[in-house]
Amino acid sequence: MTLLDFARGPGMNFALAVFVLGVLWRLVGIALLNYWRPKSEPRQGWLRAMMGGALATGTRSWPHREFIGRTGYGELLGYSYHIGLFIVILFFAPHVAFFKGLFGVSWPAMPSTWIHLIAVLTLTLFIAVLVRRVTNRVLRRLSNFDDYFSWFATALVIVTGLMTTGHIGASYETLQAWHLLSVELLLVWFPFGKLMHAFFIFPSRAINGYLLSRKGAAS
Amino acid sequence: MNAKVGIPIRVVENRAPPKDYVLGGGLTAVLHEILALLENLSAFGEGGQIDLRSLPMAPGEHDDLKNALGEGEVDVTLNLGGPTRCRETAYPGVWWVEHKDPAGATVAEFIEIAFVPELLRPEDEDIRAGVRRLEQRLRAGHATTGGNSP
Amino acid sequence: MTDQHTHRTIGEALDASGVSRRSFLKFCMVTASMLALPPSVGRVMAQQLRKAKRPSVIYLSFQECTGCLESFTRSFSPTAENLLFNVISLDYDDTLMAAAGSHAEAAREKAMKDNWGEYLVIIDGSVPMADGGVYNTAAGKTAHQTLMEVVEGAAAVVCVGTCASFGGIPYAHPNPTGAVPISELVTDKPVVNVPGCPPIPEVITSTLVHYVSLGKVPDLDEHGRPLAFFGNTIHDRCYRRPFFDQGKFAKSFDDEGARNGWCLYELGCKGPTTYNACATVKWNDGTSFPIESGHGCLGCSEPGFWDKGSFYKPLAAGTYTSAEKIAAAAGAGVLLGAGAAVASRMKRKSRLHETDREERS
Repeated sequence: MTLLDFARGPGMNFALAVFVLGVLWRLVGIALLNYWRPKSEPRQGWLRAMMGGALATGTRSWPHREFIGRTGYGELLGYSYHIGLFIVILFFAPHVAFFKGLFGVSWPAMPSTWIHLIAVLTLTLFIAVLVRRVTNRVLRRLSNFDDYFSWFATALVIVTGLMTTGHIGASYETLQAWHLLSVELLLVWFPFGKLMHAFFIFPSRAINGYLLSRKGAAS
Repeated sequence: MNAKVGIPIRVVENRAPPKDYVLGGGLTAVLHEILALLENLSAFGEGGQIDLRSLPMAPGEHDDLKNALGEGEVDVTLNLGGPTRCRETAYPGVWWVEHKDPAGATVAEFIEIAFVPELLRPEDEDIRAGVRRLEQRLRAGHATTGGNSP
Repeated sequence: MTDQHTHRTIGEALDASGVSRRSFLKFCMVTASMLALPPSVGRVMAQQLRKAKRPSVIYLSFQECTGCLESFTRSFSPTAENLLFNVISLDYDDTLMAAAGSHAEAAREKAMKDNWGEYLVIIDGSVPMADGGVYNTAAGKTAHQTLMEVVEGAAAVVCVGTCASFGGIPYAHPNPTGAVPISELVTDKPVVNVPGCPPIPEVITSTLVHYVSLGKVPDLDEHGRPLAFFGNTIHDRCYRRPFFDQGKFAKSFDDEGARNGWCLYELGCKGPTTYNACATVKWNDGTSFPIESGHGCLGCSEPGFWDKGSFYKPLAAGTYTSAEKIAAAAGAGVLLGAGAAVASRMKRKSRLHETDREERS
């Protein structure tokens, strides 16, 4: 079995299984903790509370005016590379083919030349994010293995993807194998680190907003 | 070739390139190479050959190259177990050499930059053999009989 | 089939057949072009070949469909074929030769004896090893026995086709006959693999001419394939590559994209991972090749190509198929999560009771 056969076959199977297992473990584990059961007197009806929750999801997605000066750059970097990643992952034609193989549904892809451009931009922003983490005094002290490894696993996927599509560094089948293996590494790491924010981010803002709104507190 | 077996085949000669294909890039590159070799031939007497098989060309590009080079005054067909045609292009010294098999299918194509294509020049050994044959014939006194190669 | 005059040089054999030097030069120039050698090598090849002795060639066929031999002889250039048979002396081929049975075997043994250490062995088909190798027997011997006997005095071995090179169809899962490629059995002689299902005829003949005229096997890649023909992927030389780069793919056979000649990646083309000369040398005398005719590459010159997933699923789609494993993982995840939550709540409750007790006491 060649490296590519392994990456396309048992490797991907294993990584997907671990991903599904891990994500469900964490989501179900947290959902059943009941921490989001309200414990105080409701001061607003549940409908207004829900609306409050929805509002909070939006308002907490951007810093308050007072903090923009200090955090705006980081927020902008973060949003930009996230959008770049989503575009590349969801709209590059071979990726659409991958999802079709997985889920059976497909959607129109973007022209590949645009995707190449966006991918290079995304990688640049991603490197800028690491530079910021390492040079900023506060961030440097707060950062741990999770932060750096999650960055590394994602960066590896972007770099191997660009190498594969650019046909540089090794023969195509080797590059494709590395790219798939890096995706598998990311999938296996995903449920056990901060990457789970992908699943937590909007529910947690919504639930906090709901709870506070129900209590009648401003959020 | 397949006509012998009786299978009806419709050969599409002028295949248009794919609709969105951008032509011209490869053509310019080949013409530059021809120019370099032609300049060398003119200055130092040394030309060269370009194997068209080594250039992956879309259906339209091949014809474009032929049209770009045009036709000259010399058109020679050799019978070498299948015809080989050496045609001078509109640029003296630039020859289009097409090798075909007896069935008429093209097996190789070259652009040769030379005073005269290599194949046209007889081999030294063949000339020596011809000298021996003609000497023999004259000695035997058969000057008037036909003299095809044995 | 045995040529009485194998001691003759190729030049003498050509003269006797009435093939002029010019014709032979044309053949060599065409062959050099096939081998992707510089055009000037054609003349060198012609000179060398004329001086060389015609090597004896023994062609063995094992577990094969005869497609490779068909490709070898189904030449649209009879002149090239004739010339080739002037260049080599094909002393044994059980499909082509007029003799049969013990006469054929005797011819083979004589050729081997007369040319011991110098003859070339061409093989198509894999060799079955299961159950003592009984699944391919001829003249009372198993393929394995015949192979080892014949190869003992060979100068080099050329494996024609994917079956001989990598096992091919018989080797595909579940490989009931225990088929193995030749290179697994022949380890003490130079082995050249010329894979393909079948290989392009010109690739076979050019490799042989290279060996005969230059006296050595051509440069090989890590799978033993001549780099001249197997050094690039189909993808690297495909004329539809601009469409791949732009992201223009045909979604189904005969749709708008397919009619416009767009890339066949999504229809399962294995061009990016397949090394062969189809995109440059092409088939049927340079007429076309699968992609030009609208069908994706099957990857037939690669090891194990029958077992690399569907021919019609793209390379990105992968070969994993078990939804059951994922469902089982999902179930396990839910259980683990529920278990973790229950354990956590129980711990919280017991801690609350503890603090209550501490406060009351």
